[in-house]
Amino acid sequence: MKYLIFVFAIFSVAILGCKPDSETAVQEDEDLKLGGETSITGAYIQVFQQPAPNMSALELDLHRAADRAFGDKFVTAPAIINGGLGPIFNQNACENCHVSNGRSPFPESSQDLRGLLIRLSVAGSDVHGGPLNVPNFGGQLQTKALFGKTPEASLTWQYVQEVKTFLDGESISLSKPVFVLENPYEPLPTEMMTSPRIAPPVIGLGLLEAIKESDIMALTDPEDADKDGISGRANQVWDVKNQRTALGRFGWKAGQPDLSQQTAAAYQQDMGITNPLFPIESSLGQSQLDALQDDPEINEATLKAATFYTQSLAVPQRRNTTDPNVIEGKKLFFELKCGSCHHYQFVTGDHPEYVFLSRQTIFPYTDLLLHDMGDGLADNRPEFLANGREWRTPPLWGLGLTQVVGGIKARYLHDGRAATLQEAIMWHGGEAEQSKEQFRKLSKSERQALVSFLESL
Amino acid sequence: MNTFRLLALLTLGILISSCKKEDDVVQSTDYSSVIQNIGNDVILATYAELDAKTLELVAALTALENNPSQVNIDKARQAWRDARVPWEESEGFLFGPVDQQGIDPSIDSWPVNQPDLDAVLASPYTLTKDYIDGLDGTLKGFHTIEYLIFGLDGNKSFNDFTPREFEYLRACSQSLEGATRQLYYAWKPDQQNFIANILNAGQQGYTAVYPSQKAVLEEIVNGLVVIADEVANGKINDPLSQQNINLEESRFSANSKQDFANNIRSIRNAYLGVYKNTTGVGLSSLIAAKNASLDAKLKQQIDEAINAIEGIQGTFTTAIFNDKTGVELAQQKVRNVQQTLESEVLPIISNL
Repeated sequence: MKYLIFVFAIFSVAILGCKPDSETAVQEDEDLKLGGETSITGAYIQVFQQPAPNMSALELDLHRAADRAFGDKFVTAPAIINGGLGPIFNQNACENCHVSNGRSPFPESSQDLRGLLIRLSVAGSDVHGGPLNVPNFGGQLQTKALFGKTPEASLTWQYVQEVKTFLDGESISLSKPVFVLENPYEPLPTEMMTSPRIAPPVIGLGLLEAIKESDIMALTDPEDADKDGISGRANQVWDVKNQRTALGRFGWKAGQPDLSQQTAAAYQQDMGITNPLFPIESSLGQSQLDALQDDPEINEATLKAATFYTQSLAVPQRRNTTDPNVIEGKKLFFELKCGSCHHYQFVTGDHPEYVFLSRQTIFPYTDLLLHDMGDGLADNRPEFLANGREWRTPPLWGLGLTQVVGGIKARYLHDGRAATLQEAIMWHGGEAEQSKEQFRKLSKSERQALVSFLESL
Repeated sequence: MNTFRLLALLTLGILISSCKKEDDVVQSTDYSSVIQNIGNDVILATYAELDAKTLELVAALTALENNPSQVNIDKARQAWRDARVPWEESEGFLFGPVDQQGIDPSIDSWPVNQPDLDAVLASPYTLTKDYIDGLDGTLKGFHTIEYLIFGLDGNKSFNDFTPREFEYLRACSQSLEGATRQLYYAWKPDQQNFIANILNAGQQGYTAVYPSQKAVLEEIVNGLVVIADEVANGKINDPLSQQNINLEESRFSANSKQDFANNIRSIRNAYLGVYKNTTGVGLSSLIAAKNASLDAKLKQQIDEAINAIEGIQGTFTTAIFNDKTGVELAQQKVRNVQQTLESEVLPIISNL
């Protein structure tokens, strides 16, 4: 026993020896493994395409097979394989939007919109409280069509510039794309709401799904009872499989309850691929609809495979955590209360199917809740309980690898308007106004430190 | 010294050394020669070759259009196979501009969208390069050209080509060459120079993509794992396990065996750091220095995989029924390469 105590003492000394200034030191890299045991090391282009390292051999095989479902390209029916594309669609494969599994590059031209799409609705809500479809256009603008069919419209954009000045005198130019729908196949209603969306990264999603609902609900503060200026509201959305209202977790406005429905909706809306959850073509009631009785166009196994792929990707761990700049930036991040929405830590619950997602200590930097982000970011299009100024806090893991994975055209925020992380921060408003204002007042080196921290994620 | 004290000291030693974070380690070893060689002599050279060969494909298809004959259709088909070689040899490094610029779908989309292709051919539109550029990937690239020049069963006669098909082939091959040129130029030093990110990895001004040379090496090895997995568990496994010829990618041309073998050559090229007649160092020299027997094993496994693929009897289309043993052997040999890369080579690179 004496020796054990001795060993233990050395242990303690050694541990303390690693962390000279203990108080901040404990904090500085305890989140090294952002995705718990699903984390991997590395910073390279394919780093979002790696399987979670803590899967069983069987799960790894499933993941590899699922990778192919994610890459499958769909074609016009009737076809011997991969038929059912469209008739109207945005892209013909998952990976065409989720480029290298990361954020889609902002499109170079109207000819190829990559992972950019526009959601549509008119005033009011559907029977489940969701957005009300635009007659003859539905809830999403499909900008491509099979040969002989007509895309719903084409998309162009112009930039509106705005200059913001930091307290130290330095200024920054913010630009925002203003989208215009051109050549609609039928006249568009004059009173219509649009919301541009860029395809987000697909890493870590299984972990977000495994967070206990009670842990998310515990963070809500709909009436801002604690008067900290941050509300945090849970979206309540329609769960198609269970035919009930459920907590929304996925999508820029948390409009989807789980990854199965998120994936199924993407198949049906983005690719025109009907599936067990959404067996009706997105073009129902429109002149592009085909007369084929081939729905659903993929089966349950394919849907499950593509869903599993999004559940089982590794999360790259943090980098440069001992860099003093990064350490200072992390301190500033919390001092500026960025962590009020970009919630630091969860422990996942017991996943019903996959042990590798269960009871993981994770650092997603999101509360999965809706927050008013101000006029600058508002899309003015409600989605279930999310109003036109609210967005779901996006997770920040992998943020620093955005342009490694997607290249320099990969940009930030829901419509890809921000070319740099500093621009993205300066677009924050609403509940984040105070944090943004404090960021504006930081010195240049402090601002750089905060950005360095974000780059370490 | 008794065992416990020894244990304690050892523990202390381990803990102290583990205090040193990965990030703090100064890059002591210089992997420039390996990276320069793989970057310039393998990746860039392969893309240059790809663009040169697709240009020859355009010329061969023009000759066929101008003078449809058995000689010219044979030449066109050979030109397609020749252009296919560097593409398959590039699939071991499918990262960077090929994805980021959305080029891959324009080169290698599969399957072919036959209903729409028929509809485009029947339409009144003038088929120009620009027109084809605007079509979805499944209406252009290698496999659309393959379908048009070989036919569904690979025995299309030069007399069977319609003027519209020639028009399509002309525009489609020009579009393919445009895509391969875009890819080559994306890497080329005097153009967009993506290769600079690799060659100067970790150096000031070049850390945006790769913070270190080690990151480049991890990228390269992961790319090799991806293609080994794709060949064994996708390209071979899908048609074999489902006994379905429609799941074979290069079926019209019966080129699958060459495709698979060239995918494995892609692994060999990067591993040895050679392309065609060049010489230089690759990952092999680095691995050999750490574990000579592992290096020897992998080299042998790569050769065995290529031999097993080329040893499959008949075409891949018939072999999935008539030479299952040969196909399964090839699959196993490719899996061996994947296994070694993944569980033995990658850990060495990750721990550099």
